[in-house]
Amino acid sequence: MKYITTVNDQEFEVEILDERHVAVNGKVYEVDMTAMSNQPLYSLLADARSFEGYVYESDGQWQVLMGGTLYEVTVEDEQIKRLRMAGGGGGKEKGPYLLKAPMPGLVVAVPVIEGQEVQKGDVLVVLESMKMQNELKSPKAGKVEKVKVEAGQAVEQGQVMVTVV
Amino acid sequence: MFNKVLIANRGEIAVRVIRACKELGLQTVAVYSDVDRNALHVRYADEAYHIGPPQARDSYLRIDKLLEVAKKSGAGAIHPGYGFLAERAEFAQACEDEGIVFIGPKPHAIATMGDKAMARATVSAAGVPVVPGTEGEGNLNDDELLALAPKIGFPLLIKAVAGGGGKGMREVRSLDEMPAALRAARAEAEAAFGDGNVYLEKLIEGARHIEIQILADTHGNTIHLGERECSIQRRHQKLFEESPSPFVGQDEAFRQKMGQVAVRAAQAVDYISAGTIEFLVDKDKNFYFLEMNTRLQVEHPITEYVTGVDIVKEQIRIARGRPLSYSQDQIQMHGWAMEARINAEDPYNNFMPSIGRIEHMLLPTGPGVRVDTGVYAGFEITPYYDSLISKLIVWGETRGHAIQRMRRALEEYKIVGVRTTIPFHQNLLKQSRFIAGRFDTQFVEERFSMEEADAMRETYPEIAAIMATLVAHQETLRAAHVIRSAKRDTSNWKWYARWERIHR
Repeated sequence: MKYITTVNDQEFEVEILDERHVAVNGKVYEVDMTAMSNQPLYSLLADARSFEGYVYESDGQWQVLMGGTLYEVTVEDEQIKRLRMAGGGGGKEKGPYLLKAPMPGLVVAVPVIEGQEVQKGDVLVVLESMKMQNELKSPKAGKVEKVKVEAGQAVEQGQVMVTVV
Repeated sequence: MFNKVLIANRGEIAVRVIRACKELGLQTVAVYSDVDRNALHVRYADEAYHIGPPQARDSYLRIDKLLEVAKKSGAGAIHPGYGFLAERAEFAQACEDEGIVFIGPKPHAIATMGDKAMARATVSAAGVPVVPGTEGEGNLNDDELLALAPKIGFPLLIKAVAGGGGKGMREVRSLDEMPAALRAARAEAEAAFGDGNVYLEKLIEGARHIEIQILADTHGNTIHLGERECSIQRRHQKLFEESPSPFVGQDEAFRQKMGQVAVRAAQAVDYISAGTIEFLVDKDKNFYFLEMNTRLQVEHPITEYVTGVDIVKEQIRIARGRPLSYSQDQIQMHGWAMEARINAEDPYNNFMPSIGRIEHMLLPTGPGVRVDTGVYAGFEITPYYDSLISKLIVWGETRGHAIQRMRRALEEYKIVGVRTTIPFHQNLLKQSRFIAGRFDTQFVEERFSMEEADAMRETYPEIAAIMATLVAHQETLRAAHVIRSAKRDTSNWKWYARWERIHR
């Protein structure tokens, strides 16, 4: 059973060989993994090295919290991924970015307008929450497609404020 | 004499005070807003009363409601914790008027030290060095400030008279920058505190923020419990504290000098109970009074660890009219303590607050580790209160041991469900300047970057890949009904064998 597993933008080919062996990019590990009963905490012995981590789903992805580091992971069946790519997917999907309010708050400023070109890191919205002003930035370069909020407006958590294509 | 205490606060500090009361055999009364019904402090207290909606101004800041609960429950004393009403003179006064003991200083001490300009003037008159600035000259207008600025010298800071926390503050490097900066500072101060008055203060470059813990009783005894180093800050908010200060180190004469000046400052306002004098210290060991915090502080546990004094129990004893349990000679600093503030904030995203439910939590423990927290697995972090989840405090025989222990504890501490500042602290403890004790109040903002520190972090992406893949694989089997769904128990962890059986 082969998977393409992406960890923070790094791709690995993970093949489950048998009950005790997993190959990562061809390197074979002897594994033993157990789960704690009432929480998503796992103990993994990989070639006798002991690792402990939380693995849980979040927004269609997996998050692994291990040794204080949070890894963002996607796991895709290798065959399904190949079919998807052949169908014209072409590389990592870069769909429109929806800037959602991370928590309820008040929009202080919207320094962009629809149609404006933005760079990665440009401020899209300044949101005031928990007595602090937070600058919400664009994670990619692109064009501002829609601006759905204005200064002085109160927003709910998860509310879409700006879209960048 | 009172035998029941109302804790006018919430979260970890309410739990802290309740613990001290229990150890002294006192009954405890908790108050809670709509979202705090299941909070730890409510469950630990002997009695609990609902006081209103989540917004603090309708609940925890309502003096009338708090006094009503005190009367109803028969609480003879109120402990205000920190924040909320702890430094509101009118609250201390209202308690006094109702015949309820306020576990803290007298109203006039709070009022004097609460007005930054008045505080500077008062301690200055008592011979305490203050940061050079407009010395308690009342509320000055722009022309007067422009005239005084060159005498103070540049660079300088414009600061709000009525409050702190970085609001109403502007840095000015030259006289022509002044008018615009004054306008901006006044506007911000007006918005934040309802008072646009500002004063000027010399900006001490390369300054360290070092504070002294004070305890004073009603019998005329005032002592200090040594210093705390609080220079690891971001936007004037403390992130990490330690005691003793690596800058003071073995210089006992310097320590005692600062301590005695701090005592003098406290005596200048007839201070009672626990308090803290904040100093700015330059690289030549000149120290200047910055302000006095007339309350128990967040970082008090590190002083408790190195001196062995339970500050909250002392506050309660003082409030009961007892003399201090210790004389100045009996206070010794032993070993080294550090505190990491664990906030629900994302250090990879400008420390943006993170709200949500804490799904899982594993607390570090073992020798020399203390966790002061008010949350637990299943608790919902809301946007109504500050983002402090807990304080992780460690003690070591030396500073080096404390650092190793803090690293160990941070690795054990697992919080799932919200972003936390644990990675920030892990990265901080790897910085060579931090390890060498060479940092000032600008360190985090100017000389620290999460990305650079991450480059030094040991990561195991292949292991994360294995873990996630195996878990995802098991989910697939569960979805295909190959294994029993829902129950997540270890006997189900036969992901491969059954899959093989089905596909033979």
